Amino acid sequence: MQKVKTVIVIVIFLLLQMILPKHLGIFRYIELPLLGTIFFSLMRSPLQGMWTGLAAGLGKDIISGADVYGVNGFSKTLIGYCIGRASLNFPLENPLARLGIVALASFADTIMVVGFNIVLQQPIPLGAWYDFGRVVGFKVIGDTLAAVLLFIVLNRIFPDQKESGRMTVKKRYYA
Amino acid sequence: MSSTPAKEKLRDRSHWLLAILLLLQLLAMSITARRPDGGQSVVGNWVMTIFAPIAKVGDAALSKVTGSITGWSEMRRAASENVSLREQVEQLTVELNEKREKAAQFDTLRTQLGIPAATAYQRIAANVISRDTSLWFKRLTIDRGALDGVKKNMPIVTATGIVGRVINVGANFAQVQLITDSSAGVGVMIQSSRLAGELKGMNNTRCEIKYIPANEEVGEGEMVVTTGLDRIYPKGLVVGVTEKVENDPAAPWKRIAVKPTAQVERVENVFVLLIEAKDITVETNIKQ
Repeated sequence: MQKVKTVIVIVIFLLLQMILPKHLGIFRYIELPLLGTIFFSLMRSPLQGMWTGLAAGLGKDIISGADVYGVNGFSKTLIGYCIGRASLNFPLENPLARLGIVALASFADTIMVVGFNIVLQQPIPLGAWYDFGRVVGFKVIGDTLAAVLLFIVLNRIFPDQKESGRMTVKKRYYA
Repeated sequence: MSSTPAKEKLRDRSHWLLAILLLLQLLAMSITARRPDGGQSVVGNWVMTIFAPIAKVGDAALSKVTGSITGWSEMRRAASENVSLREQVEQLTVELNEKREKAAQFDTLRTQLGIPAATAYQRIAANVISRDTSLWFKRLTIDRGALDGVKKNMPIVTATGIVGRVINVGANFAQVQLITDSSAGVGVMIQSSRLAGELKGMNNTRCEIKYIPANEEVGEGEMVVTTGLDRIYPKGLVVGVTEKVENDPAAPWKRIAVKPTAQVERVENVFVLLIEAKDITVETNIKQ
């Protein structure tokens, strides 16, 4: 049941990513599939984070009409796995730590997506360095602020995730 | 809450699974990057075929909400706008009558000289259901697809100018690359001087014409139209107006910023021109 709920949330996030930027410009800088990946990676196993990242990333590649497939898939799979691993070994249950992780993941995701497009000789508009920095900065801020609200909602939808987090803490310190 | 041995074993092997998944995606990237015009994958097509109608319903619902909010604020400006629009209508009516008279004279002359009439392209209306899903590409999705006769590379236009071209087609949707996308290219010319160049997107609200020699005269506010040389957009479609003209210090041609006449960034309804490369006639009266 939990897996079905996870899939439904990712599908809803992809649909919202399709619809919202047209009406609310701020959603250009908020990547809901990435936030979904981070949420499920923070509270679950690296495997869960990896699969969620794979689905969310490939879904993002499809809905954005990208010329190259797998760029978002690669970055989000890796981010999901790394956060999943980190959540087993470090105390990431604290809300502030979670927001730090969101900011870091948003930055890493942008760098990987842009980096792969450059390596694959795709015409990606970087502009001057300060323009690129501004876009990256806006995206980090957008993702982090959206995560504050989104994680509250998701914590209500997935109350057992909190329990899973507590068990991880217990295992980390007492196992 | 202890893990089963099978789960532990799977977790131990997770890094291998990660490596395989990442390698597969690297492979997908290298294959799709080598075929930029390869179109969407079968899986991608199926996903979008399912997503598109849901997104259309969601978009319509959200449009009603945002429409009522913006509608209320726009009501306040409507009175003053109405006065200026009435003046504009009168002015345009005079111009329309003049153009009609000229068109009638032109038709008479064309018949006498035996010049074939300009082709009228078949077109269908479409709604924009999604836009700006990625920060790095200027794309949109429309609610018409292969079932409506839409094919890859068909031009997307509005009454005021061209918007882009179809890059992916599914049964009930099509993804469109806007002319402002940095990888978009259009064969264009300055309407008055017939100077031809290539229009490239700048990934903001503007485009840029390249390959017009630096020694040629181009002014600001000149109309830019398509040439048909790209075999995507038929000749004579309005593209935009020149906004800023300067010589490129690093190349022997001008840098001409163009403001598209169509509201590319905010367009809600468009037309798909049901035209293919073989039907496109190329403008021959150009200077290169």
